[in-house]
Amino acid sequence: MTTKPIGGQVHRRDVLKAGAAAAAGAMVPASLGMPEAQAATSSTLVVAAPATPQSLDSNFDVSLGTFEAVAALYDNLLEFAKIPDPKVPGAFREDIADHPDKPAGLAVQGKLAESFELDPNGKWIRFQLRKGVKSNWGNELTADDVKWTWDRKFGLKAIGGFYLSTLGLENPEGVKVEGPYTVSITLDNPNPLLAKLQPNLYAPIFDSKKCKEVATADDPWARKFMDNNSAGFGPYRLDQLQRGQQAVFKARPDYYLGKPAMETVIFREVPTSATRAALLQGGAVDVAQYLQPLEIIKLRSLPGVAVDSVASSFMIWLELNSKIEPFDNVKVRQAMNFAFPQEQVLKTVFQGLAEPLTGCMPNIYAGFTEKFWKYKYDPEMAKALLKEAGMASGFKTSLAYNAGDPVQEPIAILYQTALREIGVELQLKKIPAATFYNAVSERKQPMIFYVDSPWCPDIGYSMTLYFNSGSFIDYSNYKNDEVDKLLKDTARTADENARVEMMTKAQEIVMSEAPWVFIAFPGYHFARRADLKGFTYYTSNNIRFQDFSRSA
Amino acid sequence: MAGATMAAAAGAPAAAPGPPWRQRLRFFAAVLRARPAFALGYAIVALVVATGVLAPLIVPYGPMVADPNVYLLPPSWQHLLGTDGTGMDIFSRVLAAPRVDLTIAMLGTLVSAALGATIGAIVGYYEGQRTWRTALSTFVMRAADVLQAFPVFVFAIALVAVFGQSVRSIVIAIAFVNTPIYLRLMRGQVLSIRRLRYVEAAYVAGASDVAILLRHVIPNAIAPVLAQLSVNVGWSVLLTAGLSFVGAGVVAPTPEWGSMIAMGFQNVVTGQWWPSVFPGIALGLTVFGFALVGASIEVLADPAQRRVLSGSLR
Repeated sequence: MTTKPIGGQVHRRDVLKAGAAAAAGAMVPASLGMPEAQAATSSTLVVAAPATPQSLDSNFDVSLGTFEAVAALYDNLLEFAKIPDPKVPGAFREDIADHPDKPAGLAVQGKLAESFELDPNGKWIRFQLRKGVKSNWGNELTADDVKWTWDRKFGLKAIGGFYLSTLGLENPEGVKVEGPYTVSITLDNPNPLLAKLQPNLYAPIFDSKKCKEVATADDPWARKFMDNNSAGFGPYRLDQLQRGQQAVFKARPDYYLGKPAMETVIFREVPTSATRAALLQGGAVDVAQYLQPLEIIKLRSLPGVAVDSVASSFMIWLELNSKIEPFDNVKVRQAMNFAFPQEQVLKTVFQGLAEPLTGCMPNIYAGFTEKFWKYKYDPEMAKALLKEAGMASGFKTSLAYNAGDPVQEPIAILYQTALREIGVELQLKKIPAATFYNAVSERKQPMIFYVDSPWCPDIGYSMTLYFNSGSFIDYSNYKNDEVDKLLKDTARTADENARVEMMTKAQEIVMSEAPWVFIAFPGYHFARRADLKGFTYYTSNNIRFQDFSRSA
Repeated sequence: MAGATMAAAAGAPAAAPGPPWRQRLRFFAAVLRARPAFALGYAIVALVVATGVLAPLIVPYGPMVADPNVYLLPPSWQHLLGTDGTGMDIFSRVLAAPRVDLTIAMLGTLVSAALGATIGAIVGYYEGQRTWRTALSTFVMRAADVLQAFPVFVFAIALVAVFGQSVRSIVIAIAFVNTPIYLRLMRGQVLSIRRLRYVEAAYVAGASDVAILLRHVIPNAIAPVLAQLSVNVGWSVLLTAGLSFVGAGVVAPTPEWGSMIAMGFQNVVTGQWWPSVFPGIALGLTVFGFALVGASIEVLADPAQRRVLSGSLR
């Protein structure tokens, strides 16, 4: 907390500000009392988050709080090496660049695995596990744990099924225990992601011994247990989970990489971003997640608070449903892009904190190109394209947006005003946050917002997620046979140059056919108390408590 | 009709000769002079209604036109109440909002009054008779109990969720949650009126139940329902704004006070108070105005209070 000199002049504005802060504090749940909230003096980390974890099982839950929980409770076989962020002093990020001189051409290193060998053709990978690594239940890590973890993906499908299909791992026998601490994965076809996918947040290893203990005939994969408990080899154990209120994590003294500096982490649910910002400003929390641009701008100027703004894998766009008229027409989709006031949206809604989305994958991933970007705001061009599409007089359509994301409504309103210029009448549909992703995945809206990031920093992975007609998150119903073929070929070769060449062609086609209205790369903005150090950016866009410590 | 009868019975002030409406008007004016708060209420309501009606002629900017070149400007001569995060003029939107808020509130209240009063009259008329109608009356009253047991706001949100987000849905929600109020009011009135001699006389003369209800019972039982209307309109404006605030109300960017507060309240912490404070003031004033009008009607409709007022006005 900051201290002001005693006896200084008190201005009316100061009194009003104090009143506003007190009012914001009053909105906070009673559980955010001061004794616990004064975390800055201890090894306790207090995080104000929009939501607590819904489930702790990474095979089923993708809610915001779950990301942090999984990262605290579990570890992976491999991780990307960390490097200082080139633009933000004191911040770090994963080294996701191509490194042809290194194994797998990547800066991946062992974590639960001490070392690994990768087939140059990308057909198999072998891990040598660390010895003496204990889970939070005291069981030692063995190759059986890795095998059981993959078997669970086969048994339950769900998110695990996505990883299986991404790798092309078709049967459980592909994962083989070769010794107590040696395990391998063998594929039928080469796959360039065999090593790259291992650091993925949702590819952690489970303590199979504990899971088997709690499994039942009806629940052989311990689903019920894993919803509310953890059985992992991560740096923290779960101490308490009160959904809707808080989750408490305790550092494990027996963690194989050493006990984390933050011994206790209190992860509190504070749904309103203004309240999270006020709590950080007042020193009641160490970290305030997911703030609005204006709040970030204000916090940057305050003493005792710091904001690390780094380039991220996040993207925000509008899905134009290619199976719903008139967006089945390429020219209409292009017109919708030319009519989007991107520059104004970046200035007003994002307050200059975002970059224009000028491509169809994260610009921090190798292989991204913006040379196919052509949709600078041009209403006349939009009108001409509508005329070519036989819709010179415009049309009516609707845009669905998430009530829980404060930037979407103003973007929608600005777009609505801009579209009137080309004769398009846009009706806005506000969808509650709780049901928004159902609305996205149903693919029944003509236009709907989407914010996402491909976690695996790979050109083929990113493009496949959104533009492969067979992908479960091809939410714009986009289908182009040539793109599908390019994606399929890219997934079957480890030749990086050939992959980039094919994906460059795919980017050209996608950008030309415009299945999205391209909005922004919003970046990742980490708001924290100034004495908290160690922030590291991960492509999964979550924080990992074990990274943090306090400066003296 | 009923008001005139009551005024006479209460012993209105020594009125100057003239037709009854003029006497009532004089009494009303005298009441407003004696209770300036009531006059303030009528003035606010008149202003809000006039603003709503004239909004298209007097707003300086389109209330639904976003201008990103002037976003979040504080109040100035160009934008009297400032602009919001998308550059929409708050003054224009505050003036245009009554068209939506009052329309929804009045429609919802009128529908609930018509529905509640009708059902209440039928239930009250048949209550206590040993026929299947009694069972129906009991069922209706218990159903009303169940409806009223729910928290009104949560119930309204659920209704909007079921019917979808639209003006029609909000009107239905308001009508639904208000209907039991009018049902009970009317039932209570009818229960006492149905035993009066003139009703029995009509029955003996061979008038049908429908005729008795329409000609003799309802006209004499309607006064409290009318008094309740004003209070309910104000309350319904608040409910409409509340629904919009939580995202279950009108579709953005329709100018509506609750929706405007919801769009702007997050900016208070960052120093831009005007997008939410001005619609909040307008909303508060409107509800206050309708509450005062409702209070005045209650006073005017209550013979005991009228007597006191008449005495003090002499």
